[in-house]
Amino acid sequence: MNVGVVPNGPNPNATYFNSKGMWLTYVMVVAFIHYIILSLPWLTVAWAWTVTNIIHNAVMYLILHLSKGTPFETADQGQSRFRTVWEQLDYGVQYSPTKKFLTVVPIVLFFLASFYTQSAALHFGINTVSLLTVILPKLPMFHGVRIFGINKY
Amino acid sequence: MIQAFIHAPRYHVLVEIALVIWILRLLFFTKSYRSERTVLTEKEKEDLIEDWQPEPLAPPLSESDAALLNVNERIVDRHIWEFCSKIGKHVTVNGHECLNLASMNFLAMNEDPLIEEDAVASLRKYGVGSCGPRGFYGTVDVHLFLEEALQKFMGCEEAIIYSYGFSTVASAIPAYSKRGDILYADESVHFAIQKGIQASRSRVRYFKHNDMDDLERLLQEQEREDQRNPKKAKVTRKFILVEGLSMKHGDLCPLPKLVELKNKYRVRVFMDESLSFGTIGKTGKGVTEFYNIDVTEIDLITGSLEYALGSVGGFCVGKSYVVDHQRLSGLGYCFSASNPPMLSQAAITALQILQDKPEKLERLQENSKWMHRQLAQIDGLKVSGEAISPIIYVQLSDATGQTGVDRALLQRIVSECEIQGIALTCPAFLDDEELFVPPPSIRVAVNCDLTKEEIDEAIRIIQNVVRDVLSTRDAFAQ
Repeated sequence: MNVGVVPNGPNPNATYFNSKGMWLTYVMVVAFIHYIILSLPWLTVAWAWTVTNIIHNAVMYLILHLSKGTPFETADQGQSRFRTVWEQLDYGVQYSPTKKFLTVVPIVLFFLASFYTQSAALHFGINTVSLLTVILPKLPMFHGVRIFGINKY
Repeated sequence: MIQAFIHAPRYHVLVEIALVIWILRLLFFTKSYRSERTVLTEKEKEDLIEDWQPEPLAPPLSESDAALLNVNERIVDRHIWEFCSKIGKHVTVNGHECLNLASMNFLAMNEDPLIEEDAVASLRKYGVGSCGPRGFYGTVDVHLFLEEALQKFMGCEEAIIYSYGFSTVASAIPAYSKRGDILYADESVHFAIQKGIQASRSRVRYFKHNDMDDLERLLQEQEREDQRNPKKAKVTRKFILVEGLSMKHGDLCPLPKLVELKNKYRVRVFMDESLSFGTIGKTGKGVTEFYNIDVTEIDLITGSLEYALGSVGGFCVGKSYVVDHQRLSGLGYCFSASNPPMLSQAAITALQILQDKPEKLERLQENSKWMHRQLAQIDGLKVSGEAISPIIYVQLSDATGQTGVDRALLQRIVSECEIQGIALTCPAFLDDEELFVPPPSIRVAVNCDLTKEEIDEAIRIIQNVVRDVLSTRDAFAQ
């Protein structure tokens, strides 16, 4: 009988980013999307990079920092229901290799975008704001914190 | 690239330098850690080890562990049961042939020859165990037959069976109610429900036993809170947990009012019918039938096969949408070996007998009423609970209020009765773990096979014993 005991079942949300080839796949998907955007004839190279940056950061925000819970039955009595996917990653361990990777990618993208937009003020503004939306929630001090109750329930 | 860097505006350069420093720090100067972990120094570890006092492997025995304390010593106050016969309508306890008013064998299914025959046939066919949980090669056809029989009998969409009565409700509650949800529970729910509440990790609010006004007060409080924070209310599930026939008091839950509240405040109701299944209602369907309430009004009904049906196991019935959820998230269903097929077969046969011989149930209810009325007439005893209830709690009418004293007195009555041929019992509780321990009492369980003469004879004996025991107490007091 297993009553009153919570078996510590694995939460696939916490570990799927550590699976083999995941980082490479991630980079390739971003590159692929970038080339598609780059191939649109009415977009300049500068705008193509800014749009890539915006799309990447928006999707990252949606998937990692906005969506909460896990679709799998984790037997933690609904604890992950209140945690974003980022907070579930590596079971809450900070500065794990996966988390470092996911932090570095948007920053590198920002550098690339800055380079190709030749530091134009408009592009800089858009890219910086979009970068902040995915960098700030990743800070360890914001683990489990909901500023102004955003995304609290 | 360097050219571009030189021509870039100063703010841009600053931001980029900051980001580069951030990356370098992140990659080379951070260590992974878990947010909530505390790191102890060697000194602190030594101190902790120094402080630690090992507990004895077996805790010292307390007064309530009478059976362990004095195995060889027969003391009247410390009661030991030693059964020398089958437990049926009659039972031989410590060498005394007794009429059994202690076992919850309401419909006399324990000694039914037909059930025994079927169970033995099932044993020859399937062997003893089922060799696995239901999801892992442990499903045998009789499990499916039993589920179908229960579903048809209760008139619900689906039934699910568990291998143990206790784990039924203790698994069903945490399967639905999670962290952050709210449970409204009757304060005198039985132990299995309390364990389920504990395992669910939910917030729990207790209302007074069968007090619907108190429940409404709690619901209104929550409604006001919900209006302040509708976003939170949207993701909070709310459940009411009640017992059909209370195992600690022997009274029925006021279901019509409860259903009204449930619909008004939009809360789900889970009802445990462990005792009322097979004993209450015209055909034994439980409290819903007794009050003539549609069974679909209750979101989940849990029950036990261990009382009226005389087998082992438990079941839940309700809508398929609700019940099916447990097949993957009811812990007792997923991780326990399934019910031995012979016990499921015994339950199927018992359920068939319950349907074929409605007179058994009629006799049980008549006996319950008769027993209730007769017990109430005994001087010095107080009877509580519903007249129709097959378990009756008898308290001392002038109890001292000191639990130990009252218990010892009641235990003496029980022991005396046993010598004179009536088996009774005092309900036992884990005083430290039980949420609400009811006042000391004797529990009388009614059997459908009792005749009026036998009941009257039993009452006569109990009356004499009570008079003797109470008079010695009064003499002692003076």
